[in-house]
Amino acid sequence: MKTVRQNLLAIPILVWFGLLVGIPLIYVVVLSFMSRDSLGNIVFQFTLENYQRVFDPVYLKVFLNSFLLAVLTGIITLVIGYPVAYITAKLERKQRAAAIGLIMLPFWISSLLRTYGWVILLGSSGVINNILIALKLIDAPIPMMYKFSTTLIGTAYMLIPFMIIAIYNSVDKLDQSLLEASYDLGASRWKTFLKITLPLTVPGIAGGFTLVFIPALGLYFIADLLGGGQTVFLGNLINTLATRGRNRPLAAAFSVGMILLVLGVLAVYGRITKDKVEGLFK
Amino acid sequence: MKKPLLSLVNINKFFGDVHVLKDITLDIQQGEFLTLLGPSGCGKTTLLRCIAGLERIDSGDMLLNGVSIKELEPNKRNVNTVFQNYALFPHLNVYDNIAYGPRVKRTMAEPELQEKVAEMLDLVQMTGYEGRMPHQLSGGQRQRIAIARALINQPDILLLDEPLGALDLKLRKHMQTELSQLQKKTGTTFVYVTHDQDEALNMSDRIAVLSQGRIQQIGTPREIYNNPVNLFVADFIGDRNLLEVEVLATADSYSQVKLGSRIINVRSAAYLEAGQRGMLAVHKDKLRIAAEPGPNSLAGTVLSVHYAGYQIRVEVQIEDAVITAVEYQQSESDYQVGDQVYLSWDDHGAILLPMEAGSA
Repeated sequence: MKTVRQNLLAIPILVWFGLLVGIPLIYVVVLSFMSRDSLGNIVFQFTLENYQRVFDPVYLKVFLNSFLLAVLTGIITLVIGYPVAYITAKLERKQRAAAIGLIMLPFWISSLLRTYGWVILLGSSGVINNILIALKLIDAPIPMMYKFSTTLIGTAYMLIPFMIIAIYNSVDKLDQSLLEASYDLGASRWKTFLKITLPLTVPGIAGGFTLVFIPALGLYFIADLLGGGQTVFLGNLINTLATRGRNRPLAAAFSVGMILLVLGVLAVYGRITKDKVEGLFK
Repeated sequence: MKKPLLSLVNINKFFGDVHVLKDITLDIQQGEFLTLLGPSGCGKTTLLRCIAGLERIDSGDMLLNGVSIKELEPNKRNVNTVFQNYALFPHLNVYDNIAYGPRVKRTMAEPELQEKVAEMLDLVQMTGYEGRMPHQLSGGQRQRIAIARALINQPDILLLDEPLGALDLKLRKHMQTELSQLQKKTGTTFVYVTHDQDEALNMSDRIAVLSQGRIQQIGTPREIYNNPVNLFVADFIGDRNLLEVEVLATADSYSQVKLGSRIINVRSAAYLEAGQRGMLAVHKDKLRIAAEPGPNSLAGTVLSVHYAGYQIRVEVQIEDAVITAVEYQQSESDYQVGDQVYLSWDDHGAILLPMEAGSA
């Protein structure tokens, strides 16, 4: 009887997920097997052609670009985010609340606007170039826009709060007495960090990496605004195919490919946290 | 007296405005089992953490083997701690937990370390558990690993912070015995923190009773139990009746006091002037109940009788005062409410104390 009641309680959530996740997902998967007529209209006819095109070397390069961007974003946000999260977690209660507020502050401003902020900063007549020229350090503006690295900076900037918060939670949860035990047993602060803190915050690192990696695959407007379309990423490709390209079945096939990539990452994440966390906080 | 292993000299410690340790002065001898005993918030754990180096002292000094260690970081002090929650590293197995100290200090090569870990596991009777993870161990087993992890470093002093607090009663009794055996076997100096007087009385060579950041009394369990120096210790250790009396005369550590209208002779912990009020502390389990009057006995009426299995608690009204006596021999203790009885005690069963509690 009890299980029946528990199942009943789950119905609203199941309906919610069914409507907002399940149906669109099925729609995308079905769409990816559809054909087009010469005008680009969708024809209800099963085909594998879309998936064949996904594996075209030209498109594989796009997958590779996106994967590289997401991995590098993960690494950059980790390297910068870990110390920030660690120091934040060690602050006094009041300062900590203020620091977290500052970390979350960008979320209150439109991400599009913030991306334009980088254009103002990095452009040929942007703030940085103007200052350097005014100081007579350079004669001509350094080209900083419309490169892979520009997209990378913008994406890392956009997603770093997720990394910081994930690691912060993990550092904050750390049992203080474990660190004290380590000092007590003769370890220096640095050794304690390497042997105790770092391994015990691996779940936070993996969580942060996942939270950064997944959206990094799809933030196409940053690649458009800062990358100038010089490098094609999955998000841009899908966007273009689905709108101007009038090829929604192919866009759907790429979306399915992207979902599989994300599932792969989640599987690795599950592995890491399962190994590391099992019984950790019992 | 031998040169002490650790000397604490006038230690003071503040948390903000709160004065948590007040002029703590204490010598700890090589090889002894010293217990810091007191109610929660008395500063005993803080004192332990100061010795470990996990807290800094604000004034005073700490000499280990004659050398000041007060400025040393915890990892530079040759003392180790068994934490209240054991603090085993959850991501390391039993072997790696125990090997942690020697590895971070690089004091042993791997073959020697293996031998040493095996020796430690044998010492705490946990041989064969090398590969287990901490979460796969029971509370008592974690406790043993925590002790092995500390002892492998051959500390001058092992600090134990209420290590039995999280265990159930039966296991706690068992571990008490095991801990004192371990201490004798290794000869390591133990400084043990607890709020449990049974633990303290059972295991310690000496007990330091703490209250409100101050050491109230230091002595052997027997001294502490029988000869409390003030009202706090008398009330905290053992189970006593506290009776207000008027002092008539004091000589040679004995006083003549007036309890209600009765005049009796009692041992006195301090010199009390005639005319002063004092507190007479009488061990409940050292009172004898008799049907006939005897020398130095008090007449009273039985108020109530509580049967509690191994003991009987009898409340007796003596004029204005109610005294509780605990009897363990059940054969003759067949008193009824309203019976006229006579209470008496041996010399060490009672002690007269000044009124104010431990404001030394």
